[in-house]
Amino acid sequence: MGRYHYVFPKWSNLVVPLATCVGAIAPLYVAFIVAWGFSPETTDVGYQPVQPVPFSHALHAGELGIDCRYCHNTVEVSPHASIPPTQTCMNCHAMIHPDSDKLKPLHESWKTGRPMAWVRVHDLPDYAFFNHSAHVLRGVSCVECHGRIDTMEVVRQAKPLSMGWCLKCHRNPEPHLRDPDLVTQLEWGWDMSDAERLAAGAHWRETNDLHPSQDCSTCHR
Amino acid sequence: MSSVNGKGPSGRITGQTYWRSLNEVADTPEFRTFMHREFPAGATELLDGTDRRGFLKIMGASMALAGAGLTGCRRWPKQHIVPFAARPEGMHPGKATQYASIVELGGIATGILATTHDGRPTKLEGNPEHPGSLGALTGQQQAMVLDVYDPDRSRGVLERPGEAASRAQSQWSAFEAWWGEHAKTLGSGSGLWFVGEPTGSPSVRRMQRMLRGTFPDATWVTWDPMASAQAGGLDAAMGGDLRPVYDLAKADLILSLDSDFLCGHPDALALSRAWASRRTPKHGEMSRVIMFEAGLSVTGAAADDRQEMRTADVAKAAAMLAARVTGDRALAPGAGGPTIVEAAMDDIADLLKAAHGRSLVIAGRSQPAAVHHLAALMNESLGNAGKTVQYVRIEQPEMDTADLAAFVSAAKAGTVDTAVLIGGNPVFDAPADLNLAAALKKVRNTVRLSSHNDETSRACRWHLNQAHSLECWGDGTAWNGMLSIQQPMILPLFGGRSTIEVLALMAGETDTAGFDIVRRTFQERTGKAMTPAGDVPTYDPDWRRALHSGVIAGSIPTFETPPVRRSVKALPSVAKGLEVNFTPSYAIGDGRFANNGWLAELPDPLTKLTWENAVLMHEGDASDAGVEDGDMVRVTVDGTSIEGPVIVQPGQKHGTVSIALGWGRTFPGRVSTDAGFNAYPLRTSGGMWYRGGGSVKATGDSTELARTQDHFAIDSVGGRGTQERLPMLFREASLETFKNEPKFAQHVGHSLGRLSLWQEQQFEGAQYAWGMSIDLNKCIGCGDCVMACQAENNLPIVGKHQVLMGREMHWIRIDRYYRFTSDGHGGFNTSNPGTIAMQPMMCQHCENAPCEQVCPVAATIHTSDGLNAMVYNRCIGTRYCSNNCPYKVRRFNYFDYFRRDPLRETGMLQVQPDYYVRRQSGGDPLRRMQFNPDVTVRMRGVMEKCTWCTQRIESAKIQARNAWVKLPEAQKAAAKRVVIPDGTITPACAQTCATQAIVFGDLMDPDSRVSKMHADDRAYALLDELNVKPRNKYLARLTNSAMGERYPEDHGGHGEHGHDDHSAAGGHH
Repeated sequence: MGRYHYVFPKWSNLVVPLATCVGAIAPLYVAFIVAWGFSPETTDVGYQPVQPVPFSHALHAGELGIDCRYCHNTVEVSPHASIPPTQTCMNCHAMIHPDSDKLKPLHESWKTGRPMAWVRVHDLPDYAFFNHSAHVLRGVSCVECHGRIDTMEVVRQAKPLSMGWCLKCHRNPEPHLRDPDLVTQLEWGWDMSDAERLAAGAHWRETNDLHPSQDCSTCHR
Repeated sequence: MSSVNGKGPSGRITGQTYWRSLNEVADTPEFRTFMHREFPAGATELLDGTDRRGFLKIMGASMALAGAGLTGCRRWPKQHIVPFAARPEGMHPGKATQYASIVELGGIATGILATTHDGRPTKLEGNPEHPGSLGALTGQQQAMVLDVYDPDRSRGVLERPGEAASRAQSQWSAFEAWWGEHAKTLGSGSGLWFVGEPTGSPSVRRMQRMLRGTFPDATWVTWDPMASAQAGGLDAAMGGDLRPVYDLAKADLILSLDSDFLCGHPDALALSRAWASRRTPKHGEMSRVIMFEAGLSVTGAAADDRQEMRTADVAKAAAMLAARVTGDRALAPGAGGPTIVEAAMDDIADLLKAAHGRSLVIAGRSQPAAVHHLAALMNESLGNAGKTVQYVRIEQPEMDTADLAAFVSAAKAGTVDTAVLIGGNPVFDAPADLNLAAALKKVRNTVRLSSHNDETSRACRWHLNQAHSLECWGDGTAWNGMLSIQQPMILPLFGGRSTIEVLALMAGETDTAGFDIVRRTFQERTGKAMTPAGDVPTYDPDWRRALHSGVIAGSIPTFETPPVRRSVKALPSVAKGLEVNFTPSYAIGDGRFANNGWLAELPDPLTKLTWENAVLMHEGDASDAGVEDGDMVRVTVDGTSIEGPVIVQPGQKHGTVSIALGWGRTFPGRVSTDAGFNAYPLRTSGGMWYRGGGSVKATGDSTELARTQDHFAIDSVGGRGTQERLPMLFREASLETFKNEPKFAQHVGHSLGRLSLWQEQQFEGAQYAWGMSIDLNKCIGCGDCVMACQAENNLPIVGKHQVLMGREMHWIRIDRYYRFTSDGHGGFNTSNPGTIAMQPMMCQHCENAPCEQVCPVAATIHTSDGLNAMVYNRCIGTRYCSNNCPYKVRRFNYFDYFRRDPLRETGMLQVQPDYYVRRQSGGDPLRRMQFNPDVTVRMRGVMEKCTWCTQRIESAKIQARNAWVKLPEAQKAAAKRVVIPDGTITPACAQTCATQAIVFGDLMDPDSRVSKMHADDRAYALLDELNVKPRNKYLARLTNSAMGERYPEDHGGHGEHGHDDHSAAGGHH
């Protein structure tokens, strides 16, 4: 015995391999957690703030079938699709539900002339410049970035809107193109095969001479 | 120190050599330091008293703390979208709209197109349909948009009740009530005086008529500190209130009698456009400009021949020439001027006579009335009248008029009961001998309408805040008499009112709304009927058209050429001794723009001085006084003294000094405080533009001058580098040389083997190839492009302290070089430069961009259409790119100049406050309203540079493609490719260039203007020998000198100048 009293116990032989395993896995784990936790998919997708008036796109755009451009009427000429002014709502709601409690802020805004303060859902960084007209007119449907808005009771962010996500389409636009006249038909193509959709996309790319740019200065100015 | 010994290491300096400054010729230690450091001394220091090591320590600690307290994992803050309650028709949020209007300076209206973003005017551009603009706009006119958002603007009405020392906040309603009562006491108005600025506004004249109805004996005084004696001279010459309208496009020979007609003249934009039309050497012909002046001006720098003479002697020279040209010896000046060479006058008179009917004599604002008379006489005698010059009758105020001196003597006599001072700043800029401030104290009631609570307002009982011209309705007259409407872009931010509104109120009109006044004036002027009820019709297509196009069609009066009287008044005598000249500041004019940060930081075209003015001296006078650049001197004339720093200015006439007016305001503005010194105290009624008998004495003090001419120098070592390389950088020749050797510019420098170190940039599948060209033969160096860039691209101003450290942020700079001739003793004649070279310099968008090779994070990379893109959100601020840029065009944000919250930085991180607290910066929410939302606002630690206005390129591409996709399919199939018509895209600098020296376009289109320019004989790429393949090409300058060939025929390059170390490598051809 003697000096063997002072050696490490047998289980201590495991310390080094265990520590190696943990040491090897931990950084990967941290990297994964950070990458996942900070990715737009995690932080942004699903963002669904409460709006001052519980406006339902599912009702207006879906059930009633009002075209997107009835309210977002600058989408074909301006970088912004534009949240409609109170006046647009009042075109109908002067007659429909004029006394509704839920519409109170709206009627208040119309009476006082003070605008509504809607909560922004889709928010790009200030250094990224997105132009709605450039996409909508070329046959990129609303649904490509905003999802099935016409089924949403409360609007939520459906896509990550990250740079990598933008570039996926800019590199390979065909799956996301359609007849520019059909951009607001969000359900378009549900009954088509992938090959048919690709063919349609390729046709419109060819027709409109589209070269989606991947240059930095296209969006960062 | 008549010449400085050029001590290039090789000692091979010969005749043709260019220098940026006298510092460089002398090769002073300061210049060497500047040359050897990538960024100027101090530029890499964070702030005084803290070094890099200390900074890193603190940063490390704060990182650790930040990690511990990380709340992280949160979407960015909640944002609201606030649409209109009722959106106006035709308004598209996020889309800029341009409205036609005018800005008025010195009584001359210039057409503008004001860009508004969501109702905020953000940028002013020239209106191509307006004869005074033709699409261009001067730097001052462009910077007027910043004045709307000046945090120091007057925000309300002030009144000094009774004899109180200080003034209290008041209301417009209080003033209205007071005036209502007060007007009853004025009777016929014999004690009522108005002091206004010159204006061409028909509505102001109509209001004057109303005032005359109410107060028949009231008097109107027009005061303009920048006025010339032209009106008086032409009245004596031809009778009547006339203004000359020049046609420089028809002039082969232009003689300027101290007229800075290319920059500083009220009609400079139209004049320089016409001048530039004759600077393309078609068939070897070009116009010629001969300039007589004492101090160097922009026109003098651009002139083909420049005769330095005292300003007083210009009048004498004019008389000598007039005698020769007309053959009327009676016109010759009495005592012959010893400083004017008779033979030179003979030569010039012969040249003028040879160009009969195709020449032009222009008299400048410094010249007495007699010289304007002589100029008219010479033009008539030379057959120019009706060809290169015609006259237009200008309208005078519709009230009894008097001059400022009459007002002052009436005030001193106590006969002025009420004085209404409208605009301007007479207390600051009236002739010192009048002592207007003292006279105003004797006036019982003083009312002032002005944008700022300035020197004059402080001397008045009532201060009324004036609406900016972008905030109110108005009208105006162009130089040639064309009328325009001024329409507001935004409601008055602080409830100010316009001149016509206040005049209507004073005249007792019931309708004082600016729109109604202007609308009625329009109805009257166009000879249209009112409705039966006496109102204007609600809809009038002509009115709509006038608003839309910015001009009232057919409103230009008929031009005349009345006969000129032969008897010319005697020339005024001027005291001998040192001549002190006063000039308007190229930046801030007569002082009205003193609180405009953009203009304060705009380098003077010639001295490259920012943030202040200086006493410009001849080097002989400076050495007599024992002073050099930056030393303070006391300039004394007739017992009155002012003190200011000296700049030894090449091209200054011996025995004269020049001082820019307008600086040294006592108005405590964020920008104007401590900026320059006031030269108005030396100015008297008898010596408005120059005075003799002055003296200059050193005070013993000295100061640091924030001059940009040695910053971002693109040659490596002072003297030698300059000597060897500048003839290659700035290529020029005489017209004669060009005729014999049209491709001379391409033979300068070296064509090395084209083996590249790197894989060359590929442009496969590119849709466009953007390129630019700059015609150095047209560039006059005025700096209007710098202002356009500043407004377009959200460039910050950095303050004098930062400019001293070389941290100015201008994306485009104008390099100014002097070419000195040899003095025959191994030195240079540094007092009189052979040529003054102006070279705009911005990112050249090299195809093999050296900056891209060294960026560790790919923050600067190429786009497929050939732009060198800068990605701000990737940049980590290593500044390697700037180090590797051969053109030195990259700018680094040392601070968050537009920072959000100035209070956030405290303690050690608090930097010297003048960057953003005192200066106009982003910290002020008002200032932020000017931002162009299409351009990222950069923050600290980010590199930036010229983008060729990529936001305009993208916008034009989107517009063109939006239109294209809507075309019928057959048409699309036939065209195949989306074409953006040449000229659709103009970067801000090119858009505003009065001489159209800058051309931008698609190099893939062989018919585009830029492709043709690149193929021009004179085109050359700068630093071509580096094989960086810049996408910008310069067109060499030509000089059409008559006074002797000043260019050695061996124009650099091939001779002893051009060889450098590369040639040993065998690449020389």
